[in-house]
Order: sequence, then C-alpha cells, then structure tokens
Amino acid sequence: MAAPTATASLNATSYAPGAQMLLTVNYNDPDTKALTVTVVVTDTQGNSSAPVKVGAVIDPLTITVTDDSGRTWTRVSDNGTVAVYRAVA
Amino acid sequence: MPRVTVTVRDSGGQGATATANYTITPPVLGGYYLSGGADPTADMTGGNFRSLTQYRSFADGYVFPGYNRPWLVTLGRAGVQVNMVLELKHYGAPDTGPQTFTVDGVKYTVPAPAMTIQQRPSTVWPKAYGYSQVLAGQCDGLFARALSQYRTMGFGVNIQLASELDTDHEFGTTEAGKQYTWAESDARAVQAVTYIVNWFRAKELPQGTTFSVGLGGFDRACYQRTHPEALMSRLDFLQWNVYATNASHTALDRFRRTKDWAVVDLGPVALSRPVLIAEWGVRVAEIPDQAGWIGTVPPAIARLNAERGPIIERTNYFNSGWGTLSPKATGLAALRAAYARPPYA
Repeated sequence: MAAPTATASLNATSYAPGAQMLLTVNYNDPDTKALTVTVVVTDTQGNSSAPVKVGAVIDPLTITVTDDSGRTWTRVSDNGTVAVYRAVA
Repeated sequence: MPRVTVTVRDSGGQGATATANYTITPPVLGGYYLSGGADPTADMTGGNFRSLTQYRSFADGYVFPGYNRPWLVTLGRAGVQVNMVLELKHYGAPDTGPQTFTVDGVKYTVPAPAMTIQQRPSTVWPKAYGYSQVLAGQCDGLFARALSQYRTMGFGVNIQLASELDTDHEFGTTEAGKQYTWAESDARAVQAVTYIVNWFRAKELPQGTTFSVGLGGFDRACYQRTHPEALMSRLDFLQWNVYATNASHTALDRFRRTKDWAVVDLGPVALSRPVLIAEWGVRVAEIPDQAGWIGTVPPAIARLNAERGPIIERTNYFNSGWGTLSPKATGLAALRAAYARPPYA
C-alpha cells in the first residue's frame, strides 16, 4: 500500500482579529480509487431488474485538522483531492 | 506563533502530515481626543479606549503633561498609548516674543518665532518657529524643556512632530521675510524634523518613546515629499488623518486613500512602519447618521489590515471640529460599540 501525501497552505501569514482564515489542503493517495458497483438481479426466466448502482471507495482517506491555538476549523468544501477549511482569526 | 496541522490517513493507518504557521495581529487600538484638550477620562471610562491624541506647542511652558492636565499622567500610567502632537506652531498666546528660561540648571534664550504657516488668504496667518531657526539650533531650549518635563511622566509616548504639514504648507510659508512654496516648505520641514528627531534620539528617552511626522494626508505629492526613506529610518509610524465630510464617503475609501498612495509612492522603510491615525471623524452636517458611519469603521480597518501594505495600529477619534459627536451620547455609544468589536477587541 502506498502512503498518502498532503500539503497545507493558508491564504495569508498574518490575520487581524476577526478576519476570515482559509486553509487549503491538497491530498492524494495512489491507492485510493472510487468505483461504482452495478447490481442487476436476473431470474431463471431471464427477467432482469433495473440496474442499481452503489458507490464505493478503496482505501478512503480521512483528514484531521488541529490547531495548537484552539481555533476551530470548519470544512467548506472537499472534492476528493482539495479540501478547504475556514476559521476566524 | 499558532500552527495548524493537517493529517491525512488511509485505511491502513498510513498517514501524511502538513503544517502551516500564522500570526494574529494584536488588536487595533481604539482611541480618542476630546475638544480643547479637555479631560477625556469620563468619556473613555468603561469603553475599550486604549489610545489618545494630545496637542501641544513647543512654545508652551507646560508641554508634558500640559497645564492643569494631571489626568494625562494617570491615563498614561494606566496603559493608554499617548500620541503627543508637538508643534513648532505658536498657538496664539498674547506674548509671541523671545523666551528666556532655565531647564535643569541650564539657561536658554529662544528667539521669537520667525515663520508664518497656514497662509490661507483672508485669514490671520499663525506664527511658528521657523525651520531655519530649528536648524540653527535656536530652538534647542524648547526641546530641552519638553524633554525635561517628559522624563517626569513615567511612560513612553509617540512624539508626532507637527499636526498636518500639508495644512501648514499648502499656501506656502514665510520665514524672516523670505517666501517659500509648498514644495520648498515640505523640503525644509523634512530637514527640521530630522534635526528634531536626531536631537531627541541623542538623549536618554523614556522607554517606549517613538516618533512620527504629522500629515493630514490629503495631498499625494506632499505626502511623498515629506516621507523620504532617510527620514523614515528615524521614525516609527506612518500617520495621516481621516475625515468623512461628504455623504458619498465610505469608511473604507476614506481610511484607504492615503494608504493607497503610500503603497505606490513610498520606499520599503516607510512601508515597514505601522500606521497611527491621529485623528478620524465624521462630520454630522453631511452625514446625519454619524453613529451608523462609525459602525462601518471596524470592518473597513479589518479589511485594510488584511491587504498588503502597512498595518493600521491605532485610530483616535477626533471629538472636536469636523468630528464633533452630535448628539454626543449617541456618537459616543457608537464609538464604544465599534471599539468593542474586531479588529479592536
């Protein structure tokens, strides 16, 4: 199994109290694969059900964000490779 | 320095960690000035007022803390950051003649002020000690007297030399019968201010002493002329004043006007200095909802400080002249509410 990779960048290095802070996390793992399982049930007479699709992820990743000043970071978006978090300075 | 840590972990327990450091700037200091240099203690008590502007003339025998102003010592010792505007301008006391006085055992004689400033047509032009007089060392006694009094205060202040050089010079100046244009006056002031700052810096000063030069900030060319890098290397703040005098004025536009010029026109030393807004105010004649306008200032300051360029560190409301709070109770309540919010708190 391959190890994941991650980078973290803030939209500024210095914030005034009360300002919005944005954290962008780029992450990846070569093992992570999204796939779709399609199920069709067929009886002995050859009648088939409508296909049913189920999503699954092989080796999913979990992201944890901590802040040593106790600031709470809230996830704003995540597309599977880029996640954006927000906090208040 | 706070640090945010991101950990990405897969189902097998393998992980990657990334970190990012950041700083939170200290709160902006909300400040005040009360008309006539009057005692502002009552207005400030209970509010998040942490900064104060005062005006004194070097001609005055009582610069620190000022005549009958013991409250300034009390406020300063309580941690209020004081911006002392010290002016070569004579405030119009009846006697504008030469002065002889003794400071710490040394006798000084200072000649009568030889310059006129603020030469607006159809007005009486105020007198001021001339830039040539300063450079000739004739005003050293004034500086010695102020310094001797300053050392008794028990805390450091920012010494802002001149209130608004642009206002002083915009109609030219005259010293000892010789006329100088606006630009010539600016160049002479830079020399004189450099002399004064060097004079003070060569002496033992209370801890925390800082220096700046005063400008209204309404003229771009003047602002550039009065902020050469050689002078800025001796100063600790950029400074300008901010007034809303038209219904179309927004807090963001008014606070940013001089900053935007500075960012383009000034050098790296100047731009490394934080900003002290010695005066800001809202003129109620054009902006009846004075309190509403005051309420828009905190987000404007926060936004400006999130942008590139110098950080605004102190903003002192000028409750006098154009900025007079009217009705006072409503305006003061709005000011208190503004200073209770980020980036002030």
